[in-house]
Amino acid sequence: MDGLVNLWSATGLANLTFPALAMIAVGCGLLYLAIAKGFEPLLLVPIGFGAILTNIPVAGLADPGGLLYYVYYIGIDSGVFPLLIFMGVGALTDFSALIANPRMLLLGAAAQFGIFATLFGAILLNYVPGFEFTLQDASAIAIIGGADGPTAIFLASRLSPELLGAIAVAAYSYMALVPIIQPPIMRLLTTEEERNIAMPQLRAVSKQEKILFPLGVLALTLLFLPAATPLVGMFCLGNLMKESGVVDRLSNSAQNEIINITTIFLGLAVGSKLAADQFLTVETIGILVLGAVAFSIGTASGVYMAKVMNRFAGDSPINPLVGAAGVSAVPMAARVVNKVGLESNPHNFLLMHAMGPNVAGVLGSAVAAGILLALVG
Amino acid sequence: MDITALLAQAANLMLTGMVGVFVFLSILIIAVKGLSKFAAPDEPVQPRSQAAKSKPAGAEQVPAENLAAISAAISQYRNQHFPSEK
Repeated sequence: MDGLVNLWSATGLANLTFPALAMIAVGCGLLYLAIAKGFEPLLLVPIGFGAILTNIPVAGLADPGGLLYYVYYIGIDSGVFPLLIFMGVGALTDFSALIANPRMLLLGAAAQFGIFATLFGAILLNYVPGFEFTLQDASAIAIIGGADGPTAIFLASRLSPELLGAIAVAAYSYMALVPIIQPPIMRLLTTEEERNIAMPQLRAVSKQEKILFPLGVLALTLLFLPAATPLVGMFCLGNLMKESGVVDRLSNSAQNEIINITTIFLGLAVGSKLAADQFLTVETIGILVLGAVAFSIGTASGVYMAKVMNRFAGDSPINPLVGAAGVSAVPMAARVVNKVGLESNPHNFLLMHAMGPNVAGVLGSAVAAGILLALVG
Repeated sequence: MDITALLAQAANLMLTGMVGVFVFLSILIIAVKGLSKFAAPDEPVQPRSQAAKSKPAGAEQVPAENLAAISAAISQYRNQHFPSEK
């Protein structure tokens, strides 16, 4: 009889609590979004499954000694996984559109206003009872506006690990929602005439420029913002491997195997932070709201900056739509710009022009993360 | 710490952060512009690409009659399917 009682007490049924059940439902919801709706499936499948595994009672996968605990400890607590992904992203990024038209960096900078405005907003939320965000928490939440998953996870793991699960889920969900969030804002802030502006064709960029670019970015980071070196450094390494053309094997590994393997474990580790006691809080709702605000402000400030630049552009006009691509979310944001542009003028392909601010946004959010680390960390 | 002080800090951070991002990326613009002046254009590649282009250009001359046939076919198709445009 004792044996039976013991066996019963070891079943999931006897140990299942309502919060854990709710989190398993959240995990299933993420799986549904990924599989049925195609929202960032590469990340939401491992994150959703990790969330389910974490909340299985008795097994304790996310407790010290459990698999997910170690994956988190080794990969995210140390900051290694997001940086490996950033190396792969660097190896996947082509900077020629930006090198051909470096002014676009200003759009990448303007869109980071989404981050810093949200930081202010997160602190403002402290007036609502139930919210107690520190400056660190607020910075980690605000980086969602950078629309860059690895950067958000890296910064959250440094500044506010207990909010990491919610921040990562918000960052990736909103990146998947870029085609829904951005177009209304872009249409609202531009006139039909502005959306019709055709931009001059970009010049060809030499191989030497492409090789020197990551080295130049690294040199500037080293001189002015060493705190951003982990992110920018790995990014530049990946990009140099791609552009140098002499280590194709390494570059291919960074773009494929390494980024894929890391993505599986990064997702699982993020999922392990979706435990009921950490996720089912009023703060999570705040983070989801702030994330959407951050995205919207970033998009709007990019578009406004492009409008201002267009006024002073002279003979090489700038279509204000490309400013929206400044929020990174490569290459989704650039595709959205292209799509909205084509709605106004079916012959106006803005994709290559939007790739400039798009990759500038990646650099911009890495720089913003470095600034936050230097000032708040 | 009370919220007002935190807000002041956040506003300060917002200002410093935006200035920082703009300054950094502006320096980068100058650096990239300098880079494109300093970097040699793709000279060793260009002759090769020209050579590569000249071959297919020569090859293109052969099916010139085909080209005429193709354009005739296209205009015929357009006439049949989109007569209103003409």
